[in-house]
Amino acid sequence: MSIVQNTGEKKNWYLPGILTGMGITMKHMLTNLMNRKKMPTLNYPEEKHEYGPRFKGNHVLTVKKDGTLRCTACMLCATNCPADCIKIVASESIDPEVEKFPIHYEIDILRCVFCGFCEEACPVDAIRLGPEWQTPGLNGANFNYDIEHLAHRPQLKGGILTHVDDKERHKAGI
Amino acid sequence: MPKCTINGRSIEVKEGTTIMEAFYQQDASIAHYCYHPGLSIAGVCRLCIVDIEGNPRPQIACNTKIMEGMKITNQSAGIKEGVKWVLDFHLINHPLDCPICDQAGECGLQEQYMEYGKYSPEMAERKVKKRKVVDLGPTVVLDSERCILCARCTRFTEEVTKTEELGLFNRGDRTEVGCVEGKQLDNKYSLNTVDICPVGALTSKDFRFRQRVWYLKDADTICTGCSTGCNVKTYFNKEGFFRVKPVYNEKVNGHWMCDEGRDIYKFVNLEHRQLKASIRTGSETFETSAGDATKKFSSFLKQLKSSETAVVLTGQYTVEEYQALVKSLKKSAGHFFHWNQNEVTEKAFDGLLLRGDKNPNTAGLRQVLEENKVGSDWKELETGLKDKKIKTLIVAGPENKTVFLDLANKLTLFSQAENLVWLSAAKLDQAVSGPKNFWHIPLKTFVEKSGTFVNAKGLAQKFSKVTTVLSEALTLSDVAALLTGDEALMVAEAKSEIAEAKIPLLADLHKRPDQVELERRKKNEFLYKRGAL
Repeated sequence: MSIVQNTGEKKNWYLPGILTGMGITMKHMLTNLMNRKKMPTLNYPEEKHEYGPRFKGNHVLTVKKDGTLRCTACMLCATNCPADCIKIVASESIDPEVEKFPIHYEIDILRCVFCGFCEEACPVDAIRLGPEWQTPGLNGANFNYDIEHLAHRPQLKGGILTHVDDKERHKAGI
Repeated sequence: MPKCTINGRSIEVKEGTTIMEAFYQQDASIAHYCYHPGLSIAGVCRLCIVDIEGNPRPQIACNTKIMEGMKITNQSAGIKEGVKWVLDFHLINHPLDCPICDQAGECGLQEQYMEYGKYSPEMAERKVKKRKVVDLGPTVVLDSERCILCARCTRFTEEVTKTEELGLFNRGDRTEVGCVEGKQLDNKYSLNTVDICPVGALTSKDFRFRQRVWYLKDADTICTGCSTGCNVKTYFNKEGFFRVKPVYNEKVNGHWMCDEGRDIYKFVNLEHRQLKASIRTGSETFETSAGDATKKFSSFLKQLKSSETAVVLTGQYTVEEYQALVKSLKKSAGHFFHWNQNEVTEKAFDGLLLRGDKNPNTAGLRQVLEENKVGSDWKELETGLKDKKIKTLIVAGPENKTVFLDLANKLTLFSQAENLVWLSAAKLDQAVSGPKNFWHIPLKTFVEKSGTFVNAKGLAQKFSKVTTVLSEALTLSDVAALLTGDEALMVAEAKSEIAEAKIPLLADLHKRPDQVELERRKKNEFLYKRGAL
C-alpha cells in the first residue's frame, strides 16, 4: 500500500482539509439519495450479492447417474492442494465396474484457500467448487466436510451430476 | 575383448556382452521394457532398437552381442522416430486409467513416454477390452488391459521360481497373461512379479490402493525376516511404513526377495508397538517413559546378586547393541542365554533365498557371546528357574512376534522368575502375571537404528537408520547405557571386531550418482513441491 504524502501548503491549515473531506462525503450521500438503484452497498443479510457463475465457493462432489460418487480416489486433488486440506482413504469397490473409490473423503474447509486447484487437477469432474459462500457455524460446528456433506447435502437436491460418464466413454472406444 | 563405439564413445567390453549391457555399463540411456538383468532375454518389446553401422535395419540392443569394431548409436533421427512409434504401438490398447492405477508415479510406461513419447497419437481404432481385476492368487491382482506383454512375469516363474504358473494365452492383440489352468500364482516369491512388472498390470493385494507412490519416501535397510539378510528398500511416510521392495545385491539376494520378507514393515508401525513402558511391582501397575523405567530398574538391579540374574537374548538385534548390553551387564548378570526359537529348522534353506532361521542376526549374537566368553546352555536356564536359582531375568524379546511361534510357551517359562524385564518393541498379547515384579520397556525396531547384521553366510552388513517411529523407545545400547550409567555407551558405538571392521554402509553401496540425501529430501520435499506448483 502506498501512502500519499501531502506536501502542499494546505497541510498547514486545519479547515480546508476538513471541508474538502466533508464535501466528498456530502456529494456521495446526495448522489446516492438521488439515484438509489446505483447505490453499491447492500442490506445484508436481507439482500444478497449474486456472484458470477465461475465463483469458487464450497466444494461439491459430483455423482453418477445411479447416485454413487464419481470420485475414483486418485488423490490428484490432494496432491495438488496447496493448503493440504483434503484427506482421502481409498478402497476397493465391490461393484465390478468401479475399481477404486473413496471410503473417506474429508475437506478441512477452514484450511482451504478456495484456489480451485483440486477442480483443475480432477481428471473425471468429480470435485467442483460450487456457488455457496455463506457457511457460518456456531462454536464447535464441524468444518471438516465429509462425503455426506460434500455430495448429498440438502442444498444440492440429490446431488450434482457429473459430465464424465465411463460407460459413454467406453462406448466411444476410449 | 571386442572393441566398439557407443554413441561416439569407444569402449572395450567382455566377450559375449550384449549391446544393452554395454549401454548399462556406460550409463547411456536406452528405452526398454522386457529386458531385465535378472531374467533371460525375450526381445519382445522391440523398444531398445539401435543403429549399427553397416547394418541396413535397426537391431534390438538386448539380444545383439557386441562384435569387434561395431559402431552403435541410438541417437540417430531414424532410431528416435522408431522408438516413438514402437511406444505408440504399446499404447494402442493400454487404457488411460493412470489415476486409479497403483503403478502411476513409478510406471515404466509413464517414464518412457515422458522421455521418448509421441505426444500426438494417431490411433483411430477402438481399444481391445480385456479382463480387469483378475485374482491371480493370494498376493497378486492382474489387470490385463494395462499389460504390455513384456513377458517378464512369465519368465520369472519359469526361470527363477521354476513353478511355471503364468503364461501368455491367445494371439495377436488378444494376447493375455494368465494362470495356467488349475493353477494359482501361489509361490513364496510371487510378489517379485509385481516389482518387475513395468506397468500396473500386476499389483500387490497388500499394497493396493493404500498410498499413491509419490507420497512415499524410500530408504535402504536390511530385511529382518530371515538370516539371509536381503537388501531392501522400505517405503514410508508420516503415517507409517507401507511396503518393502528388494534392492540388487549380487552377494546376498540378487534382484529378488521372498513374500514373507515383505511383511516386515507391519510390526514397525505404531499400532503394533508398545508405546509406554509399564512397571508392575507387587500389585501396583503404572505406566511411565521407557527411559524412566530403565533407570528405576537400574537402581533395583544394584541390590541383586549377579549369580541370580540372567540375560536372555534373541537374534533380532544388531551387533553393536549386543556388544553394549553384554559388556555393561557382564558384572551384574551371571548368565547369558541365546533364545533360539527355531533350533530345529535353523539350517533349512529353500535353495533361493528363504532360510529356516527367522532372525537377521543369529550369527552376530553368537560371535558377540563367544567374543565375551559368556553364554550358557539353555537347560541351565530352565533348571535355574525351576530351582529358584535364577531370580531376575532380563529378556531382549522379539520385535517381530510372528516368527516366534514359541512365544507363549517361553513367556510362561520366564514367568517363573521373581523379576522379569521384558525389552521389546512389540505389544504383548497375554498378560504376564507370574513374576512378582515386571517391567516392559519399549525398544526401537530395525528401521529406527543404525547397526550391523551378520547373515547366515557370515557376511556383515551395515545399515543406517531410516526414520523415527516412536521417539521415546530405546535401543539396547541405550538400555545398556542407562543401566550402567555409562553415557559413553549411548553416544559412541560399542567397540567390537565386527563394528570396527570397515564395512561399507548399505546406503552407500546402492547410491546412484544423482541421489539426494534422505535427510535433505525429508527437509526440503514439501518446500520443493510447493515451489514447483
